[in-house]
Amino acid sequence: MINDETLELHKFMQARRTLFCYSGPLSEDLLTSISNPVRQQLHESESDEGVSKRVFGVFVEQAQNIIRYAKLRADTGEGVGTIAISVTDDDGFLIEAVNAIDSEKRTALESTLLELSMKDAKELRKMYKDRLRSGPPEGSQGAGLGFIEMARRVQRFEFEIADTENGPVFVYRGYVS
Amino acid sequence: MQEAATQRTPQIEITDAACRIVGECYPENIQEFSSPVMTALRSLVPVSGSYQVDMELFYFNSSSAKFLFDFFEFFEEKAGDGLSVKINWNYREDDDTMLEAGEDFAEDMESCTFELVAMQAPEENTSEE
Repeated sequence: MINDETLELHKFMQARRTLFCYSGPLSEDLLTSISNPVRQQLHESESDEGVSKRVFGVFVEQAQNIIRYAKLRADTGEGVGTIAISVTDDDGFLIEAVNAIDSEKRTALESTLLELSMKDAKELRKMYKDRLRSGPPEGSQGAGLGFIEMARRVQRFEFEIADTENGPVFVYRGYVS
Repeated sequence: MQEAATQRTPQIEITDAACRIVGECYPENIQEFSSPVMTALRSLVPVSGSYQVDMELFYFNSSSAKFLFDFFEFFEEKAGDGLSVKINWNYREDDDTMLEAGEDFAEDMESCTFELVAMQAPEENTSEE
């Protein structure tokens, strides 16, 4: 055996039915490059175009969150994180993202996501519209709509802010089926 | 203005009589994408007469939603000042996401005529990449 970990990594990904996984510095250029293979994978494993479009939509928002807000930056300035799409036991999809965040942003992020997790589809739609009209909140590099958009496209999502020796790490899991 | 579609941006045609946007919109840099479009609109869209807008989007990300909001706001203002504006929001009949998006934009339209137009879904995968 050359390296147990390599084989374990392979087995782990296979067991999780991972279609796509990337971990490292993420840029808009890279997102452009990976978009087509990701869609191709989704197209092959999902016949309902509505579902694959929702998965892709969540994936794009997660990727852009990492690009814009990940605290850990590569030497080239790119946000560092992990992003993955896997098939779940009920043949739906799990879209995962992990990245380090600023300690100061922790409370705001937690309350935003907690609030979103309690809204139904109608309320999320209204929130999205209201945010669109009011414009982005301070500190947002996009429209401040990303998490609302994701919440609208998933059946449900889970999040956690884990403490590590290098500071807080944000974990997001969105389920689409 | 004539811009061909790219992997992440739609095809755009803007003349002094009509505007057409077709494809997907999740640009790398929303400002770089939107500012020439808004500039073209400001210089080409007339003050009076009539104007036709055709939208046919299959996917747009949340950053582009803000652009679309500003885009329709522009036409609302023009229509309020006397231009007759007809907007067609074309969506594939099975695409609830784009239908909902169209409904939400339609709600804010008072002076423009905004129509939701259901299109037949294409035969198995003739579009996309």
